[in-house]
Amino acid sequence: MEVGRLPISASQRGKLIAAGYTTLSSFSSLSPSHLARDLKISDNEAAEIMRVASHSHRLDGSAAGCGTVNGAQTAWDMLHEEEMFPRITTSCMDLDNILGGGINCKEVTEIGGVPGIGKTQLGIQLAINVQIPVDYGGLGGKAIYIDTEGSFMVERALQIAEACIEDMSECGGLLRKDFQACQLKMHPNNILENIFYFRVCSYTEQIALINYLDKFISEHKDVKIVIVDSVTFHFRQDFDDMALRTRLLSGMALKLMKLAKDFSLAVVLLNQVTNKYIDGSFQLTLALGDSWSHSCTNRVILYWNGNERYAYIDKSPSLRSASAPYSVTSKGIRNSASNCKRIKMM
Amino acid sequence: MTPENLLHRLPSTQKCTFGCPVLDRCLGGGIPCNSITEIVAESGCGKTQLCLQLALSAQLPPSLGGLSASSLYIHTEFSFPSRRLHQLSHAFISSHPRIFNNDPCDRIFVHAVYSADQLFDIMPKIESFLENMNTQLPVKLIVIDSIAALFRSEFENTPIELKRRSALFFKISGKLKSLAKRFGLAVVVTNQVVDLMGHLEGMNGLKVGNLGSLVSSGRRVCPALGLAWANCVNSRLFLSRNDEVVGEENGSVDVSACGDGDFLPRQTRRQLHVVFAPHLPDSSCEFVIRREGVFGVER
Repeated sequence: MEVGRLPISASQRGKLIAAGYTTLSSFSSLSPSHLARDLKISDNEAAEIMRVASHSHRLDGSAAGCGTVNGAQTAWDMLHEEEMFPRITTSCMDLDNILGGGINCKEVTEIGGVPGIGKTQLGIQLAINVQIPVDYGGLGGKAIYIDTEGSFMVERALQIAEACIEDMSECGGLLRKDFQACQLKMHPNNILENIFYFRVCSYTEQIALINYLDKFISEHKDVKIVIVDSVTFHFRQDFDDMALRTRLLSGMALKLMKLAKDFSLAVVLLNQVTNKYIDGSFQLTLALGDSWSHSCTNRVILYWNGNERYAYIDKSPSLRSASAPYSVTSKGIRNSASNCKRIKMM
Repeated sequence: MTPENLLHRLPSTQKCTFGCPVLDRCLGGGIPCNSITEIVAESGCGKTQLCLQLALSAQLPPSLGGLSASSLYIHTEFSFPSRRLHQLSHAFISSHPRIFNNDPCDRIFVHAVYSADQLFDIMPKIESFLENMNTQLPVKLIVIDSIAALFRSEFENTPIELKRRSALFFKISGKLKSLAKRFGLAVVVTNQVVDLMGHLEGMNGLKVGNLGSLVSSGRRVCPALGLAWANCVNSRLFLSRNDEVVGEENGSVDVSACGDGDFLPRQTRRQLHVVFAPHLPDSSCEFVIRREGVFGVER
């Protein structure tokens, strides 16, 4: 198996290849300290590489030895890899169902909707849910929250975090597995500590921050989700040169996609809606224009249907178009109230 | 640009009290700092009353829910209601006699603005004012009363003008938000309403926020300035007045023992609704306007 296919960071991969280790077998027999010396990295990092390598080796199994081009990957491997990464739940079962289990890592998901529909709420919820420990079917990762609008409220995050822990302890009552340890780890304060919050006040800051993210994430490997709330706000302010805006936006989108791939993390972009002037009438679409709509793997639109909130999959390479109701409660995003009743009755 | 550890900050966002426990409870402690709160209502609902009261209660110390701060009041519609402010400030002094030894009106800075471009142009002035102020209390509250008046007259209803208008929305709101972030300001803007025609729900058949349609004075209304502006504010509150409830005794009001009767029309029922807010559930609260100020009523 080639080094290029290992799920490790780009810099580690570069160091391995530079030191002459191009295949797994070339270094799998070495001791971590030997590897550390060769690559001039810390022992811990070397041990981590060895762990990943041996894990991948086992997964590789029969596929090993097929002479694939360096860096290429068979779809079969990709399927395995995808199954290895759990999805980030939204805490709303119906929403998870239409999303195929939740927000997927390695993908850019755009979520848009009118003001007050719950975009920020969903963002906060995801920043907390990404931290659900592996024992509970989560990722046990950390979150980066980039706030461009100033809508992130700490007390609301705390409220949702508390509800999340409560739900897990109910669930833990059934599992009973390492419950004490997990409870210790999942204190609301720890949850807030694991959300890296950035407040940006202009589009230059926003672009600079996103350029700097890969450095930040290589230092904080356990970041598993990047949320931008909202990607739109600063780009609607003062652009006379729309071509410049398009260039900046697509550059930013590429950076974010690369981040998602390189670090196997989920990128969630929140977007606003706007009225588009088509054939003399105004129609509702997500903001930032047509070229932007290519920038995301998945696109979810949140909308009101009567008095219920709905989510609709507008674009996705793997999911079928579907819609599902959800609600925003004091505990965060949950199943819609009418569905709750149905479940309770059963 | 630097990562901020959330735990090193206050456990919750700082809030500016309304000076009334009932209203504060409905809004989770008052108007949040570092964000823009919009108060939407038709004329005569109490927008200006609430703003004046906020400008006074912001001067309270944090132990009483205030910000110990001065405020900047930008008015666009009428001449500044200084008589009403004086009236309110007397009530304010008498309810907090120990705190203030001079006139609280001294800590409210007033500025008139007559056009949207002017508002954007004075932003740098406001910034330097906030930076180099050597008053007793720092400014922590900016009120713009009202934002709608600036935008509703000047722009024509053509796509190009509308585009220019919404670009200006985002410019002004972006600037206000970065000021709010930098100085920990609470920003309050007021907005007018437009009547809603046809059977569609919300603006152009588009529902924004918790309430399907906003009703005031028995008419269906929606906030002015459209969808683009709705994206520019963090929270939106709606004040409604409805005259259909007649003959309600105001004796049930518990807030103040002072029995004044003829100041307010008795049959008006005023309500405050949370249309959307990142930190608040869909809630509403009834309130009355008296000589001493705006007070929530427990139902």
